Amino acid sequence: MNPNDGMNDNLNDNQRHGDSVKKTPRRRLWALAATGAGLLALAGCAKDAPQDTWQPAGPNAEQIDNLQQPVFLVAGIVGVIVFLAVGWAVFRYRDRGQGIPEQTHGKPVLEITLTVIPVLILIGVAIPTASTIFDLAKTDDTEMIVNVTGQQWWWEYDYPANGDNADRYGIDAPIVTSGQLVIPEDTKVLLRVTSRDVIHSYWIPKLNGKKDSVPGRVHPLRIEGSQPGIYAGQCTEFCGLSHAYMRMETVVLSRPDFDAWVANQLSSYTPPAAGTLAAAGESVFISQCARCHQVNGLANADGSLIVSAPEQYVVSGAAPNLTHLMTRNTFAGASWDLLNSSCRDDVWNATPEEFGARYLAGVSEPCLNQKDLREWLRNAPEKKPMYADPTKLQETDGKYRGMPALGLTEDQIDALVAYLLELK
Amino acid sequence: MITTSSKLFYGLGAGSLVGAVLWMISGNSALGTVALFFLATALLFAGAIASFVRDGHVLSTDTAAHATAAATNGSPRASLWPLGTAISVGVLVVGLISSPGIFKVGVALTLAMLGEWMIQNWSERGSADSAYNTKIRDYLVHPLELPVAGALLLAVIVLSFSRLMLALDKSAGVAVFGVAAALVLAVGTLIAFRRNVSRRIVGAMSAVVLVALASAGVATALDGERDQLTEAAAEDHFAHRGCTEEKEYSDKKASRSVGAKSNILATVILRDGQLVAEVAGYEGLQSEVYIQRTNPSTILFINETDEARRMVVSYGKVVEDLGEGVEREIALESCTSKVEKGGQQSVTVRIPQPSFASDEPFSITVPGVESARLTVVVP
Ligand code: HEC
Ligand SMILES: [Cu+2]
Repeated sequence: MNPNDGMNDNLNDNQRHGDSVKKTPRRRLWALAATGAGLLALAGCAKDAPQDTWQPAGPNAEQIDNLQQPVFLVAGIVGVIVFLAVGWAVFRYRDRGQGIPEQTHGKPVLEITLTVIPVLILIGVAIPTASTIFDLAKTDDTEMIVNVTGQQWWWEYDYPANGDNADRYGIDAPIVTSGQLVIPEDTKVLLRVTSRDVIHSYWIPKLNGKKDSVPGRVHPLRIEGSQPGIYAGQCTEFCGLSHAYMRMETVVLSRPDFDAWVANQLSSYTPPAAGTLAAAGESVFISQCARCHQVNGLANADGSLIVSAPEQYVVSGAAPNLTHLMTRNTFAGASWDLLNSSCRDDVWNATPEEFGARYLAGVSEPCLNQKDLREWLRNAPEKKPMYADPTKLQETDGKYRGMPALGLTEDQIDALVAYLLELK
Repeated sequence: MITTSSKLFYGLGAGSLVGAVLWMISGNSALGTVALFFLATALLFAGAIASFVRDGHVLSTDTAAHATAAATNGSPRASLWPLGTAISVGVLVVGLISSPGIFKVGVALTLAMLGEWMIQNWSERGSADSAYNTKIRDYLVHPLELPVAGALLLAVIVLSFSRLMLALDKSAGVAVFGVAAALVLAVGTLIAFRRNVSRRIVGAMSAVVLVALASAGVATALDGERDQLTEAAAEDHFAHRGCTEEKEYSDKKASRSVGAKSNILATVILRDGQLVAEVAGYEGLQSEVYIQRTNPSTILFINETDEARRMVVSYGKVVEDLGEGVEREIALESCTSKVEKGGQQSVTVRIPQPSFASDEPFSITVPGVESARLTVVVP
């Protein structure tokens, strides 16, 4: 075959159209294609890719990675071969006005070979895949259990106070948090994943594969982090209006740091000192927020404990427990930071050694991201789309999906922010 | 065109009209005017019809009309509607003595048959061209007839099928429907391979299957549902009856095949007077069950003891204010029905309040077995 065949054809084509510029359009096209491909390849090298499955940070994710590398290699090689073969056939046998070639029906040897080879490849891929799946499903060496409950559009975590949780980690009363899941380093944590409303899916790409959270079912998902740090993820099953704002993070702490975290979560509630702005905030909270949000230990003036009743106001029947809000550093489905950007960088970019102390410092007033939190309190559904228009709730019996706008004054917001800052 | 008989109708109609006007002027009760007006309208309408169909015949002298008048067009064709009407009236009468349901069906059938009959009559006098007459009939009634016929066919199939399924034993059902499905596939394949099967054969086969299905449906409907279902209905399995230890109700054959068995919150087993729980994710048997607040959670109860027992999940009380200082405490609880030895039942609970908010602990218990108790924690 004459290697210039294609070129000549193309020139003829251009000449036929009476085009005076001969090679330029072609070159331009090549340049464009090359740039596109280059950009695409470069995108793969992004440093700040918190949800990259190719950077495993725990044994479960490593197992998946160890499986996908060879599978991807095999698939890549096969893909390249197929593309080359198709390209060659298209080019070599393109229509140049030649006659129709001899027509044959069936070539048993070729057909059988082309069936057997893929079958062998697939078997080769299937064996390690199946064994990885079974390995990942193992639960008998669990060291800690956390219940994970999805609802529109945030995740709740509760730590049962029994079994290993109590014996090994001193969790002697249930801990309920949201958004950020905190686990000890090098610990086989079993998440019992379920949902209060629609199907969601829990996925921290650097720590394990994803698991659907299905109402009425409890799905086990093993997670383990081998280095302190924050690992990001997001709901991966479309779950309605604010699916994109349903994110989550898993925070891995060294064992001593984790113990400190547990002790703090179990510490009892101290009301703000009388006469402070925060004390004013507490009373706003009791009148405006406590019907949905639980703050453990919060009490009425007469000393009776306040129990929230989100089941009366929210479709999913739940709202985040805010007892230790300022120990997490994101809020509302981990979609906004509670830390301002410089304090955030300090935590997120900390080395594994520094990380624990910085995370445990929580959110203090100089570090608070006032803007987003205030916007949230001013008008939550404007910040995060939610079905929270009180005039349009016939279908849900007057219940909200998400948090409604409460029409607070700026004074009330000032007081609330001061109060929330004490919830550590 | 004013034909002989139409003259009569027109005359009477005009008379009534005049009568109505006179009555109105006379100032008597308005009812008379209304009645006479209606009479006039009806008579004039009848006259118009008589004109339109030329009294149903054509004068032998009117040669021009011989070619065009509908009345010259052959005798009426054979019709099923008189027979249908007779049967419908029969149904109606039977319904009158036996049941209102059948009576209503009879009324509907009679009206439908009469309607069809009238429309056929009307169409056969539509024009001198019988093909055209058929066409106008179809044009008018097909949009009604075809969907109704389709729906009836579907109803027959669905009803027969469901009667058959309800009557067959569970295991026999698997076999029967397995074979039936295989047969359908086989026949379908055969037809697909022999492309020149005549329409008539396919039609005949479908008809045979339909008749077989319908007769199987009738037979099984008369035979009644399978024993398990009759028993469950008699025992009132699905009704709500408190969670106490009462003796009279118990599910003799509590389901061993609860659909929601996999990945449920917990399986609770009554064994040797004790309750133990298998909880997904936990190794070994547990004495404490965590239930997420407000989350609908399914718990399966297995009774391994000899007595029929039920499982009760208790989660506190609410106090209802009945007004005038009277309050009533309502215990919040959910329970399975009674389960015989080896049986299983599931219950789905949605607990609104956390356990720390309640004075008494939440629990899972078995009425009549004091020692059987699990702690429930709702964080
Ligand atoms: C009608 C119930 C309801 C009321 C009243 C309510 N909230 Fe919320 N709130 C919610 C729900 C639901 C969410 C979760 C929304 C999401 O992230 O999708 C939420 C989220 C939050 C969050 C983020 C928590 C986290 O961990 O992500 C904060 C902070 C918050 N609310 C503060 C308040 C304050 C302060 C008030 C009182 C002024 C208040 N809320 C009143 C229902 C309510
Ligand atoms: Cu979701």
